[in-house]
Amino acid sequence: MEIADSRVKVKRLSDTKKSLLFLIPSLILLLIFFIGPMVLTFIFSFTNLALTGAAAKHTEFVGFENFTRMFEDPEFRTSVWNTIVFVFFSAILGQCLLGFLIAFMMKEKNVTFRRIVGLIIIAAWVTPEVVVGFCWVAFLSDNGTANWLIGLLGFKPVAWLFSFPMVSVIIANVWRGTAFSMMVFQSALDEIPKEVEEAAHMDGATRWRIVTSITIPMVKGTIATNLMLVTLSTLGVFTLIYTMTGGGPGVETTTLPIFMFKQAFVSYQLGYGTAISLVLLAIGAIASLIYMKILKTKV
Amino acid sequence: MLKKKAGSIAGLLSVSMILAVSAGCGSSSKDASANDGKTEVKIAWRFSGENDITTKYLENDFIPEFEKANPNIKIKLSPITASEGDYYSKIALSMQSENTTPDIIAEDTFMLNADANAGYLTDLDSYVKDWPEWSNYTENLKAGAIAEDGKIYAIPGSSDSRGLWYNKNLFAKAGLPADWQPKSWQEVIDAAEKIKETSPNAIPLGMTVAKASGEAVSMQTFEMLLYGTEDTLYDSETKKWNVNSQGIMDSLKFIDEVYNEKKLAPSMSIAINSNFSSVMFQDKFVNDAAGIILDGFWNTSNWKENGPAPVANMTERFGFTAMPTENGQGAGKVTMSGGWTWAIPAKTKDKEAAWTVVKALGGAEQQAKRAIADGNLTVRQDSAENAEYQAQPFIKEATEFLNNAHFRPANDNYPNVSVEIQNMVESVATGSKTPEAAAEDFAKNVTRIVGEENITK
Amino acid sequence: MGQKSRKIETMIHYLILAVLALLFLLPLLWMLFASVDPHAKQALKVPDSVTLNNFKAIITDPKLIRSFWIGLLISACQAVLVVIVCVLAAYPLSRYKMKYRKSFMTTILFMTSLPMTAVIVPVYQLFLHLKFQDSLVAVTLFLTASSLPYAIWMVKNFMDSVPLDLEESAWVDGATVLQGVRKIVAPLMLPGIFTVGIFTFTGSWGNFFVPYILLQTPEKMPASVTIFQFFGSYGMVNYGKLAAFSIIYSMPVVLLYALSQRFMSKGFSMGGASKG
Repeated sequence: MEIADSRVKVKRLSDTKKSLLFLIPSLILLLIFFIGPMVLTFIFSFTNLALTGAAAKHTEFVGFENFTRMFEDPEFRTSVWNTIVFVFFSAILGQCLLGFLIAFMMKEKNVTFRRIVGLIIIAAWVTPEVVVGFCWVAFLSDNGTANWLIGLLGFKPVAWLFSFPMVSVIIANVWRGTAFSMMVFQSALDEIPKEVEEAAHMDGATRWRIVTSITIPMVKGTIATNLMLVTLSTLGVFTLIYTMTGGGPGVETTTLPIFMFKQAFVSYQLGYGTAISLVLLAIGAIASLIYMKILKTKV
Repeated sequence: MLKKKAGSIAGLLSVSMILAVSAGCGSSSKDASANDGKTEVKIAWRFSGENDITTKYLENDFIPEFEKANPNIKIKLSPITASEGDYYSKIALSMQSENTTPDIIAEDTFMLNADANAGYLTDLDSYVKDWPEWSNYTENLKAGAIAEDGKIYAIPGSSDSRGLWYNKNLFAKAGLPADWQPKSWQEVIDAAEKIKETSPNAIPLGMTVAKASGEAVSMQTFEMLLYGTEDTLYDSETKKWNVNSQGIMDSLKFIDEVYNEKKLAPSMSIAINSNFSSVMFQDKFVNDAAGIILDGFWNTSNWKENGPAPVANMTERFGFTAMPTENGQGAGKVTMSGGWTWAIPAKTKDKEAAWTVVKALGGAEQQAKRAIADGNLTVRQDSAENAEYQAQPFIKEATEFLNNAHFRPANDNYPNVSVEIQNMVESVATGSKTPEAAAEDFAKNVTRIVGEENITK
Repeated sequence: MGQKSRKIETMIHYLILAVLALLFLLPLLWMLFASVDPHAKQALKVPDSVTLNNFKAIITDPKLIRSFWIGLLISACQAVLVVIVCVLAAYPLSRYKMKYRKSFMTTILFMTSLPMTAVIVPVYQLFLHLKFQDSLVAVTLFLTASSLPYAIWMVKNFMDSVPLDLEESAWVDGATVLQGVRKIVAPLMLPGIFTVGIFTFTGSWGNFFVPYILLQTPEKMPASVTIFQFFGSYGMVNYGKLAAFSIIYSMPVVLLYALSQRFMSKGFSMGGASKG
């Protein structure tokens, strides 16, 4: 028994060398395919790397040229603003808030009803992004379902993707992403012991009070984490916008990932595109630092 | 000891697992490239969908004949499915490595300079020198295959011209003549306004304006207008770009008038869609729901028997007339001509084999067949005499337009300038910028691209 | 009073939820109806007659089927790889007192925030130099790496909640560390592992951007790219076919999710996703 115990102890001992062995596969992968591109992003963003033309043959360092150009570029400023609008409305207001409300309303409802509603919302979530894009293009087209619906309410048809392109992509993204937040909040809300709320109710607390001073504080951590995850993943949304509007009309739905793509692959300016990537990475990094600070994440 | 063993086993296991799994992933990706000792030549072009004409031409007309005559070469089709704008980037991406490069690519003439300067293409001078048939090629089209350094980088494959398509049913309703020849931009607008009055549900006048349509915006719309003014985009003598011209303003104002002021254009949902041209030519125009469209000759291929929207009596139902100059100045008519070429990437392994295929593609008979299939103009004088070629509907008009043809600037910055043109045109058509503001931004952006010293003051 | 207002509130909840569900359902309904409608248009409408021709046209197209398998292969390999690699990595991070653990985990958490699709240009250049271009294996490995930080973070959290005692008793019985992981830890973590695997699979199944740029040969393109190319870049959209393809294309994810829903809900509540 004693021998066994010491063996167990040995196993629990700190052992950097051995844990390294376990970590090797991930370290290799991360080094080549994650850290590598990061470093390259940094380097390329100071070059005039191009996809075609003379610069494709002779790539040179151009100092901060890409960045000075970027900050003078009105399209860049629009893209930053669009990104903020898109993330705020589709991630924070849309997915998180709607997800929370749905999860909250679903609490203690008829099981079958819960299951059906949940299933429908989750079905939207598991639909691949490209398909979501096409689905919504059809849905919002001139003769699409959206116009049929508002027609029933007596409104004139709207050219959604032209007149309200940002609203359109935001709605589509909310449609697609809400399930995630809903599920996260559902499991968090389910963990709140019934007794706590019931006790408060007995004490004569109003519904609203219970929600604001008991329910929400108890899932505060979940809300913050979910906000972070959703914000950061929305920051990188490309496929959905690209299939729906291609960033247009004009630059109205051009968010930073789309702007990067356009500069790199439509205007053939890989160096400039990479500089935009760097900014996008920086924004993600800053956002996550802020969240980490707020959450005081225990590692 | 046990501890150590466990650790190393874990390491080994995980590494071998990665290898095993990735090998599993990879095994199916390996193409069984047993070609019985034949040289494989991969041809890449832009695949435009189920009814892609080039595919049909290559599969039905070209390959059977070629492989019979050249039993040691096997042709592999490598179509690239992409929007027009994305095609050039995909091609450029694939030409960077010998592992992925196609052996022959379809290259639009406007990309030739850029790709040649990037070192992506093989200089064909020495090949062409020993090719007697080269002299049968139309002289001014050869120019399109020669880059700024004076070397030949491609063999012309097809040429084209642009004009005004008009719908005779709608014209009759509006009291317009069946043999229409407008003498100025104003007359085009007048005709469109009449159509709007008499057929309120039809689209009076369509012009490609969506960035999603890529080069078509620059060439079919903007340059067709600009080259009908007193100005050009680029001065090939001084090698400077004209970015502050009255011609640009006038062209933009015309677009603004059609799209915004007089509302003669398609609805924005149609106009900004990347399917614009298919919707217009395969749906609206054939169903008498569009009056006039400024576009290319090749659209006849839509209406052919095996095309996506067959129209049996197309010459009776539609007309194809030359685009007038702004106020009827000069010859009174104008067209832009471009075209596709066949080029051999620099990283192609077996260039001799590729050249054999390019030569065959460029033969007199194949050229005529290709032009007929594409609904394009041929690049060889002898092919133009082919009876079947000459019997095509609208071929006479399209060929005649070439008398007043302009070509795009032969400068490796053109593709980037073209992107700026597309931005400018779309912003005016959608009403997000005034013509003045759009022209100002255009001038600023082009100056940045080509450098202050290359701008006409 | 409380009782009554509670009832009214419940009613309102039901009403709102029902309306929301209906709104969420509409785009999906369009897809279902259009896929069997011989004359499908953009608008939602119950088809006059039902046809399976749209599905037939997709299933009999060898190119589409091929791309479907390739996509399945990439996503499945990626999901399996991610699970194996991150369980291995999470183990010492959860169990050993390593010197650099804290900074490592902070880095990992930080990495989860970086949108990897944004750095596609450098990745492409990297592929070019390493001669990885056009390689399905390399694309899979890249995708694996890009989902690793998130996966490691989640799995480590899951693993923290598996009590050490069980493992220790296995060791006492003479099991090696790896056996302990395989026989004790992994089974207890199944919900978490499924959650991570499904997340990874879903993410890469719908990702068309990465393969679109990194692969060049048309025959190597996975379904996400072909569906985009098939309908996105040209021609009059054939809505019936589009809907049919979309349904077929969504199937693997739907099936996977349906099969493992049991685990998923547990996975969510086990705190991996929701834990700070």
